Amino acid sequence: MKRNLLSLLLALSLVFTLAACSGGGGGAATPTPDPAPSAAPSEAQTPEPTATPEPAPQLSGTMKVVATSEDYVTLFDAFTQETGVKVELLSMSSGEVLSKLRAEGGTPSADLWFGGGIDAFMSAKEDGLLEQVTFDAASDLAGDFKDPDGFWFSKGITIVGFLLNDALMEELKLTAPASWADLTNTAYAGEIIMSNPAVSGTNYAVVNALLQTLGEENGWKYFESLNGNIAYYGKRGSDPLNKTGAGEYAIGISYIDRGVEAQAEEKGLTIVYPSDGIPWVPEGVAVFKNADNVEAAKYFVEWLFSSDDNLRMLAEIDKKDGVKLIKPTLEGVTLGYDTGILMKEDLSLFGAQRTEILERFETLMGDKAADE
Amino acid sequence: MNKRSSPHRETTGKRASFDALFRRCAQGMDRLVLWLLLGAVCLFVLLPILCIFLRSFQSEDGVFAAYQAVWKQYRDNLWNSVFVGVLTALLCTLFSVAAALFLATRKGWGKLLCLAILLITMVSPPFVSSLAYIQLYGRRGWITYRLLGLSWDPYNCWGVIWMQSISFVPLNALFLNGMLEKLDSGSIQAARDLGARPAAILRDVVLPLLRPGILVALLLSFVRSLADFGTPVIIGGRFSTIASEIYLQLVGYSNLEKAAAMNLFLLLPSIAAFFLYRALMRQADRLSQASRSRQERLQLSLLRCGPAGVLAVVISLLFFLMMLLQYGCIFLSGFLKQSRRGAVFTTQYLEQLLKYDASTLVRSVIYALIVSLAGTLFAMLFSYYMERRQVLGRHFFDGLVTLPYMIPGTCFGIGYILAFNHPPLKLTGTAVIVLANMLFKQLPTTTKICSAALAQVPADQERAVRDLGGGQGAVLRDVIFPGLRPAFLSCFVYNFSSSMTTAGAILFLINPGKKLAVFQLFDAVYVGEYALASLIATMIIVLVLVVEGAVYWLTNRRLYRTA
Repeated sequence: MKRNLLSLLLALSLVFTLAACSGGGGGAATPTPDPAPSAAPSEAQTPEPTATPEPAPQLSGTMKVVATSEDYVTLFDAFTQETGVKVELLSMSSGEVLSKLRAEGGTPSADLWFGGGIDAFMSAKEDGLLEQVTFDAASDLAGDFKDPDGFWFSKGITIVGFLLNDALMEELKLTAPASWADLTNTAYAGEIIMSNPAVSGTNYAVVNALLQTLGEENGWKYFESLNGNIAYYGKRGSDPLNKTGAGEYAIGISYIDRGVEAQAEEKGLTIVYPSDGIPWVPEGVAVFKNADNVEAAKYFVEWLFSSDDNLRMLAEIDKKDGVKLIKPTLEGVTLGYDTGILMKEDLSLFGAQRTEILERFETLMGDKAADE
Repeated sequence: MNKRSSPHRETTGKRASFDALFRRCAQGMDRLVLWLLLGAVCLFVLLPILCIFLRSFQSEDGVFAAYQAVWKQYRDNLWNSVFVGVLTALLCTLFSVAAALFLATRKGWGKLLCLAILLITMVSPPFVSSLAYIQLYGRRGWITYRLLGLSWDPYNCWGVIWMQSISFVPLNALFLNGMLEKLDSGSIQAARDLGARPAAILRDVVLPLLRPGILVALLLSFVRSLADFGTPVIIGGRFSTIASEIYLQLVGYSNLEKAAAMNLFLLLPSIAAFFLYRALMRQADRLSQASRSRQERLQLSLLRCGPAGVLAVVISLLFFLMMLLQYGCIFLSGFLKQSRRGAVFTTQYLEQLLKYDASTLVRSVIYALIVSLAGTLFAMLFSYYMERRQVLGRHFFDGLVTLPYMIPGTCFGIGYILAFNHPPLKLTGTAVIVLANMLFKQLPTTTKICSAALAQVPADQERAVRDLGGGQGAVLRDVIFPGLRPAFLSCFVYNFSSSMTTAGAILFLINPGKKLAVFQLFDAVYVGEYALASLIATMIIVLVLVVEGAVYWLTNRRLYRTA
């Protein structure tokens, strides 16, 4: 009988140890002893206070970042070197971040939000999920690229163009479209792919910018006829790039940066900048309200925008030069395109019209699905 | 061990009182364990689902606004879900029965090979199977385009149905094969002695005996198909089901209220299926109790069974071929660099993975081991209390435990965040929330495995131990746990491979600094690095097979030693 009890106890203690193990390893405030998996095994841990240009506030602990990509590791490594704040990075799309934030109900599990279409940042500000940040260098940033109240800042812009798969275009004997107006040509039926504007900030910018340019009525007419040519609306932002790259569809409506240019070269894609205007969308940076390490995240925003070196490093990682538009005084970065071809956009409408536009777009896409 | 020897030296009088004391302690423990189990289920299943439920009424436009919107907008999608679910269940069960019959009638190398394929394909990392499908059968597919010169559009509902059917087969086939091997060989012998031809034996003896299992496979595939969002997201194209629309709501609109309402909407067909399952499973239990015999090969030659037998052989060969192609494609893709001139062999991605993500892989294995051990123990104890002890409200708890199987993982994850984001239950940001989510997401299946195994442990043995003065502990140790030994392996294997491949639930629960391999995989798929995604999938498959092999070896070695 004692053995019975013992075996039961043993079993139970096993459960408790396991629970304790997992609990101890995962305490929110306890910094994990193992190195951050995303960090390159480099000099990440050694703080070098001497390199700081201006006195940094006393910061400590870990800053948790949700970003659109893990390529920013080098930028955050530089931040760690200067401030001693360890950075943990996780990549998430802006829609996922927003859902998670709303579910967490004011107890965010990250401190800094880095990258993603500005419309998500605007909704988050409206929901009161962001923290206000003020710093001197903010006045150097162009008006379009910061929230007037300092709830978000823009770290770059994303521009949109067409990707054409050369081999497939030739096989289908299609002429290259040069403008948005060309895309509604029925010759392209079933050969164009774009992402669902609800999922992709880039494609949402396309819809909003064209509606602003063409006007409400003509704009919706345009998308109705474009809808007839769209094969399907991808549920991931990278679908147009991947599907044209794999030769599955001839034309993709996609974001364009230097990374895409390299892939285009490799996979035989031609990039077309539409002659009737390039839609664009700023990418945001913001600090989460009530976060564990608000101070570090706030200082990061100041650190990034106050130093031209840091902005140049960011432009290098992003493989984009749009940061020049955001901080016109920035030297060493030149724009690869003429700003004249960017569409005129009233960014304040991006957040305000989002629900309405997406709802209308959903029924527009839905009609197509019902016909099949 | 040392403590046990001391009471033996006591006098008999004292010993009796000790016994009484121990018995009372054991009873207390027994009750404590039961309460802990039920409490955990309430906390980690009922509470998150309640939170989702409540959230669905908190829409800004009114209490039932979300439901009205969902009903108006997604009736078609519900129909789509049910349509895909029914066809997937039928097709998948057809494949499963064929593969199980094929496996049960083979012997030697052929059998081992098929078994190996099934075991490998049991581990199915999310998303990459769908990507392999596109790569093989898409518009520029290796088979459809390069081999056959076809160029067709694979993004539609048939692709979803096909992929879901194929990927649910391994589990079903292994389950049905287990049933076939336990079939009463006497009935088959008797039929043969009475002059029945093989076709008649298959039709009149084997298939009827298999019927409860077939029905269970049908229903499980149906429910699984309803909750699957990854396949329609990747290869659905314009076709969408409720599960994929829920995903879209969460990543596109961040509308939790609507997503919550859609989930409850999706529960309607699932719960209907569950009640059917319960009714049918009771039948299955009776049948398996009636005919327990040694495991042996089914003495039947399928090729001599007429058209049905030939069809089974053809279908299962087709299935095994497709699986070989699909997994071959995944394994290969991790080492191929695509470019304009075609594909080149490279170990670039492997180096990249080992350099940056080794710790992520290690963390995944540790998490999966914790979930497997704790989850298996939990399932064993839970199913024991549910099956053998007349616990009050056992039907309620039994149903409750099954709920996580029916809702898409993304929403179960959101439910956890809603439930555990405030003190005193602040778990967001910890590893506990991830582990608990995995454990309870997998509990529906593991408790079913344990219950099925328990059904084969005669209740007489338990009574015998009690009559001989054994306490609750003795019953557990000497009857229940030995009886559950085969279930232990199944549960462990299921827990481990699910933990390594579960995607939906933990997408929202993972935090910076605590990534898991499957999250890296999702990320790679998301940005379009298919080679890296395939490689992570390959690593996951290899790791799962290694750990499972080790566990199999350990449990069997112990078995030999005790024998």
